[in-house]
Amino acid sequence: MSGKGVAAGLALLFLLTACTGQTPPRAEAVRATEAGTSACAHPPRGTDPGPQTPVTIDVVEQAYLCILAYHYSGATLDARSLLLAGFAAFTQELNRAGHDLPEATMPALGGDRAADWAAFEAAYRRVTGRLPDDGELREKLAAATLRAVVAALGDNHARWAPGRRPPPGYYDGDQYGLGLRTSLRAQVGENPGVALPPLFVTAVLGGAAEKAGLRPGDVIASIDGSAPFIGGQVTSAAIAALYPQYPQADPVRLQVRREGSSRTVTLKPGLFQPDPDAVRPVTAKVLDDDVAYVRLGGFGPDAADRVLKEIARLRAGRTLTGLVLDLRGNGGGSPNEVNRLLGGFAHGEVTAYLCRVDGTCDTMRTDDTVPLVGLPLVVLIDRGCASACEHFGSVVKDLRLGTLVGTRTAGAMPGPAEPYLLGNNTVLTLPSRRHLAPGREVIDRIGVAPHHHVPPAAKDAAAGRDAALAKALTLLRG
Amino acid sequence: MRHAIRSRPMPRGMLAVGVMVLAAACAAPAPPRTVAATSSPSPTGPPVLPAPAGPHRVGSTTLHLKDASRPDPWVPEVKARELMVTLWYPTEARTGKPAPYMSARESELTLKGKRITGVPYDLLSRTRTNAFAGAEPAGRALPLVVLSPGFTMPRGTLTALAEGLAAAGYVVAGIDHTHENHATTFPDGRVAECVACDSDTDPGFGTKVVGVRAADVSFVLDRLTGPGARWQGLIDRTKIAMVGQSIGGASAVAAMLADRRVRAGVDMDGTTYARIPKKDGLARPLLFLGSAGHRPGGRDGSWERDWKLLTGWKRWLVLPGADHQSFTDVPLFGDALGARAPGGTPAARSVEITRTYVRAFLDRHLRGEPQPLLDEPSPRYPEVEHCALKGCA
Repeated sequence: MSGKGVAAGLALLFLLTACTGQTPPRAEAVRATEAGTSACAHPPRGTDPGPQTPVTIDVVEQAYLCILAYHYSGATLDARSLLLAGFAAFTQELNRAGHDLPEATMPALGGDRAADWAAFEAAYRRVTGRLPDDGELREKLAAATLRAVVAALGDNHARWAPGRRPPPGYYDGDQYGLGLRTSLRAQVGENPGVALPPLFVTAVLGGAAEKAGLRPGDVIASIDGSAPFIGGQVTSAAIAALYPQYPQADPVRLQVRREGSSRTVTLKPGLFQPDPDAVRPVTAKVLDDDVAYVRLGGFGPDAADRVLKEIARLRAGRTLTGLVLDLRGNGGGSPNEVNRLLGGFAHGEVTAYLCRVDGTCDTMRTDDTVPLVGLPLVVLIDRGCASACEHFGSVVKDLRLGTLVGTRTAGAMPGPAEPYLLGNNTVLTLPSRRHLAPGREVIDRIGVAPHHHVPPAAKDAAAGRDAALAKALTLLRG
Repeated sequence: MRHAIRSRPMPRGMLAVGVMVLAAACAAPAPPRTVAATSSPSPTGPPVLPAPAGPHRVGSTTLHLKDASRPDPWVPEVKARELMVTLWYPTEARTGKPAPYMSARESELTLKGKRITGVPYDLLSRTRTNAFAGAEPAGRALPLVVLSPGFTMPRGTLTALAEGLAAAGYVVAGIDHTHENHATTFPDGRVAECVACDSDTDPGFGTKVVGVRAADVSFVLDRLTGPGARWQGLIDRTKIAMVGQSIGGASAVAAMLADRRVRAGVDMDGTTYARIPKKDGLARPLLFLGSAGHRPGGRDGSWERDWKLLTGWKRWLVLPGADHQSFTDVPLFGDALGARAPGGTPAARSVEITRTYVRAFLDRHLRGEPQPLLDEPSPRYPEVEHCALKGCA
């Protein structure tokens, strides 16, 4: 969280509380949905939500109604699929807590959204009414149910996660975890088919990984005794264990191979100060005296202007012959920043279509107020290039603005998500429109394939070689 | 990694907009206006700063200082760090030209930077101050208070506090940390804009800012108390404190850790960033003065983290009815901008409370005068709560 973001957010804390309406009574909310509106709304702009309160079945209901009102598929989906997923997760959580009950059976659903919710809620309350008076258990059950309802959409950008308090002793810029990045990301479980062996360290940021002497290129052969791949399939839970989040604090044991020798290290998750260069969102340098290299870690606020300023700065006093824009690991951000940056490479073009379920579409366009950069462009992409990053990559490809080098992108671009504030001051994000690239192809789940496939390799990481960048420079020379 | 668009808690430039627009849009209960009416302007008139309680009259002047020992941290191509500083001090002058609040161009860039429309862009520059421009200072060996404003805010936005302290016999140095606000004008007319605004959502940004400001403060102290100082003997170099709002307050903690000359500090509602050494702690006096969001157990945990590491005199005061900007001049512009003062505490009252408590702290720690006001809740200021880790009273 950004520094003065916090301070400034605090400024309006109680204003927001004063402004946030209470959840309307249930019956009213259902009627409201039938009338085409919903119990949820965008959080007031520029403010922090008030203090988070526990998830209750009423909050789950609000999320259900919110999805039906605002999600892309809300008008057409069989709402029973959401309730079924929610109830399944509810029973699993009951079982996990050692409280499974004979009453925990799925009620009959007839297909009427309001009546089905009422039946679902009655069944839910009947079960929870028989549980011990344990606030933590109730919260866990409701949260698991809500998470499952949202996950049932199968939409990467439909998300709900309660906010987390930072670990004690946290300072702005600190990270929590083992202090490493690997060739597989924590979310690999969402799209396990993309994972290829071997699993290896790509960066050491600090913390336990640094203390244990790990280095890029180290191959991870096991995680807490689990192989990262079994029968060629990734072991998602083992990969997730590499990226613990506070308060997860159990040490993680890794078997690591380097140059034929193997050793075991035990890494304790904790706060660490990452190497500032590794986490800086925008970095720039000149390569071979005449190629500008700019790495952009995300399409956050001002991202486009920062990249354009860096290019201008590198250009001062020298003639550039090309530009490498490194978007590997760029997790996305604002489509406005994408359109603005694209304005440096094309004018008067459509960059995306945003289409509703009824087939009507809006268009997004290049920001033509940006002067054209006028340099041959190579963009580096990988599986970590997601969402807004893929928006950018797809336009470069479809409009032939440059060459893509690296590996296929994440395929995580259902459509731009919007936030909705729930009654317990948590935020649900939902896309209401589907994103299509300029050629009207779907990016979500598919990703954007590079022109030149240059996969990362453990031996390159160990040697500090960047094969994709080398290819980019060759192309610009060619 | 979250692929969805992340909503930022508070984009830069939203501060005043958020405060003013929201206050209007949400129809929060109207604060009592009777107190504010005595010193706030009419909706159409220029803003007026409440007259300080005295006993001294106040003079003010500006300094242009250039630190050639380091490049500008925000524009590394510029090989020196240039700063504009305003000094406020007691004077015996009885007449004089009122000191300008800020230039018309600075007012325009500040309002535009905060996306405030519908008022004349020179509005802030017409604010009436209580200091005589360029008057001769009076006194010797006076204690010095460094003021550091919030991010994007020019130093002028702490003028009400500065005049109050100068009238009480302090020399006050308000620093514009160049490129960390929307407009700083140098004597040759160049205007530095908010370069730091480009990176204000980066991880570690707050940490960088407080480090930059600590260096700015050490340099300014060198110039104000060193051999080249403009008025020899005016300042007692053993009696220096720092007071700031928001990231300026966080910078007070950073400056104390970096420079032993800063003997005491006040952080007005600023989330803190500097790492206080766990082993030694920070033994010099520190006052946290916050709004509701900075209560123990609130959303920002930085004061709780630091509280445990403060080993000297310390207080944690909270005004639940205050707003992030209540400790600055911003609420005084509420009427001028046609919006209500945020937070429920009337503008004149928040100025009085800020002046009173900050002065009490400085009198206690730079002048060694006992201040019972700081030791327990006061019936004169029932708005102010005394807090500790467990809660507030």
